[in-house]
This record gives sequence, structure tokens and C-alpha cells, in this order.
Amino acid sequence: MSEFIDGSENVSVHGIFNWIFLLAIFSIITVIGNYIGYKHPIQDSLVGMGILSLITLAGVWMERKLPLNISSIIYISVIGIALAFPTMPTSEFVSYYVSKVELLSIVTVFLAYVGIGMGKSWNEFKSLGGRAIIITILVIASTYLGSAIVAHIVLVMTGVPA
Amino acid sequence: MTDDNNDTTNVQHIYRNKTDKRILKKNPWRDYRLHFTVLVLAVIAMFIGPIEIELTKGMTVSIMPLLYTMILGLAFYLAKPITWIERKQSRVAEGAMMLFIGILIAKLAVSSGQSMHLLFEMGPALMLQELGHLATILIALPVALLLGFKRETIGMTNSIGREPEVAVVVDKYGFNSPESRGIFALFIVGTMIGTVFISFFTSICVSVLPLHPFAFAMASGVGSASMNAASIGPTLAAFPALETQIEAFAGFSNLLSFSVGIYIVIFLALPLTEKLYYILEPKIGRKAVVKEEDDINV
Repeated sequence: MSEFIDGSENVSVHGIFNWIFLLAIFSIITVIGNYIGYKHPIQDSLVGMGILSLITLAGVWMERKLPLNISSIIYISVIGIALAFPTMPTSEFVSYYVSKVELLSIVTVFLAYVGIGMGKSWNEFKSLGGRAIIITILVIASTYLGSAIVAHIVLVMTGVPA
Repeated sequence: MTDDNNDTTNVQHIYRNKTDKRILKKNPWRDYRLHFTVLVLAVIAMFIGPIEIELTKGMTVSIMPLLYTMILGLAFYLAKPITWIERKQSRVAEGAMMLFIGILIAKLAVSSGQSMHLLFEMGPALMLQELGHLATILIALPVALLLGFKRETIGMTNSIGREPEVAVVVDKYGFNSPESRGIFALFIVGTMIGTVFISFFTSICVSVLPLHPFAFAMASGVGSASMNAASIGPTLAAFPALETQIEAFAGFSNLLSFSVGIYIVIFLALPLTEKLYYILEPKIGRKAVVKEEDDINV
């Protein structure tokens, strides 16, 4: 049970190559899937994945090396937004190549890792009763619908055309 | 370098510690059978493509390839004959996943950057929809009480219950408290069924509810990367012409959930949950039926 909040193992400093290799593997798998599912040219989507990998690498690296207490998700978002911002010189290049990688191709590969990773929790899941399942479904459904309805009301009130 | 205390007080870094533990120590890319399996799963999923099922008139459920890979991945782990996907690979996959969230976030961020003008036009909707997450307290909490949960309710119904929220609750109530037990249960069930559920739920909502397409996009940022991903799928399928905008809003909303969401939980959701618990518990609370069976897990 304590697995997802323990952190007692020490970390080596040579990890950056592990990140690079993993991102390369992920990129290759995604590009192949992207080609099969959406027929985007392999070269273009490889460049796209390269850009995304570099952004990720920069974000992950900054999280660990900069003294600020900020999560890599925030760094990655800010770098990605900045690179694609319409007035930036990188905007056209980044937007073009990244658009060659469909979001759903990335998600499909990502969720394969999630599926394998969540196998560990299977036994704990089985030991929880149906009541926990009911509550979880309610929590997710109402979180989603709550924000969808609030967003809809505000969008309509501020006059955004559908 | 890291220990239990650091983990629970440094809420933001729960992802980092997990990634570091799994990725930086060993050479996870050497586990070629794991990655090859993922490749095979992705190829199969992409070949099959999305399937649309019409439940009743006007109500379609789309099953996206992303669900095939996830469910097959889980099935491969559980299947006895498949001996090359075991606990070790599962740990590697989990660590790698934490890194791959970055790619997903980067892709959404690039779409967000391209559509920056939308942020200024629709900023109010984006900000306020984060507060929509509080709906879970009003709806799930009374039901949890009716089902016989006691203080577990406070952990279970305050938020979507992913890593950052787990850390907040553990930090506030202690590891062995009923509140933490509640959010652990939510975390595990959410991990197992959350992604599948939200994918189906979104595709039903998109086909039944006449809400603004952008509202669905904003709502998909519930605070979990994989649930966000699973929810964008059907939304994109329903509004193919709005692809970049939908990705942009999902990205903005995700970013908000990950940065501001945690403070909403600390300062708003948890106090509200407690308040409502103390108001409702004496009125509709049942006998605690759940204690014994939950204690076994802890």
C-alpha cells in the first residue's frame, strides 16, 4: 500500500542517458503507431517526436537542477507554449512538425505503459469492495461533469459562439 | 536524499521521486521485451482503429485504440503464460510512464501555445471550471455516507485522488488514518478503472449533452494525465474540425489542474469536505460496516 509514497532509494547522477534512451524508444514506437493509424510521413513525425522529447528532457532536467520548487509538468508546459507562441521564430517549425504527431498516437502508446504499470495494483484493487468502486465512479463522473457544466455556463455567458 | 517525510511534505515532487527511483537507478531501456510488447500492442491497436457502437438512437459510444493498449497491457501482466511481463517490468513501465507524461504535456502545450489568443478570450471559463471539480463533494460524499463509510469519506470524496492529492491527505491526516485509507482506496480503484470509465463516460456525455465543445475539452483536465488523455479521445472524435482548439483547452486545463488544483484541494476542497461531513454524518451516516475489511489492506 505504501508503494506510491515511499522514496527511500537513492538516486544516481548518470540518469540522463536513461531518459534519453527511454524517450527515443517511446518516440520510435509512437512514430510507427502514428504511421499505421494516420499515415503521416515517418520523417516528419520523427522530427515532431524529437522536438517533444527535447522539451520533456529540458523540463525534467530543469526540475531537478534548478533550485526552484516547481514540477516538471509546469516547466514542460511553459517551454512548449513558448516555442509554439505565434510571435516566436520557432513557432512555425515547431507547430508544423509537432502537428504531424497525432495526440492519440502518443496517448495510445502512453496508455500501454500505464496498463502494464497498473498491473501491480490488481490484487489491492480486488480486495476493495464494490462500494469503493461506486464512490470512485461518482467522484470521477461528478468532477468531470461539474467542470464541463461550469465551463459551458461561463462560455455561454461570455458569449463564445459554439 | 529522499525519505518518506520529504515525499509527503513536498507535494509537488511525488512524480519526480517515483520517476527517479525507477529510471535513474537501473537501465530501464534495456528491458527490450517490455518495449517490444508495447510496440506490438500499439501496432495492433492502430490497425483495429476506433470502433463506434450505437447504444440507442443518437447515443454512440466510441471505443478508442488507447483503451485496447491499456487493457491488453494489463491483461499481459495478469496472464500467466506471458512470463516476460512481470512485477519488475510493471515497475519499470510505471517509472517510464512518469517520464512519458512529459511528452503528452509537451504536445498539449504546443497546441496551447499556437492558440494562446484563446486563453485571453476564454480565460474566465477556464479558471472557473476548476471550481467545478468541487461537485464531487456534493454528490459523492452523501452517497459514501449512505454506503456506510465513516471518516474514509473525507479522503475519498474531496477530489479525483491522484498522487498530489494523496500526498496532501497523507500529510494532513497521517498515513494510518481513516482519511488516508479512503484516498488510497480511491487512488487504486481510480488507477484500475478510472481511465476506462472516463473514456466511456466522455463519449456518452459528448453524444447526449448539448454542451459547448470547448467545455468538454476543458473538463477533460481532471488532474490525472491518463484520464485526461482517455477523455480527449472521444472529444476529438466527436469534433474533428476543432482539433487544435480542443487540444489547447485540454492542455490549459491540465496545466491549471496540476498547478492550481492542488491549492484548491488544500484550501477549499478539504475544508469543505470536512464541513459537509460534520453536517451530514449525524443525519445520514450508517453504522461503520467498512472498517474490518479495509484494515486488512493497511
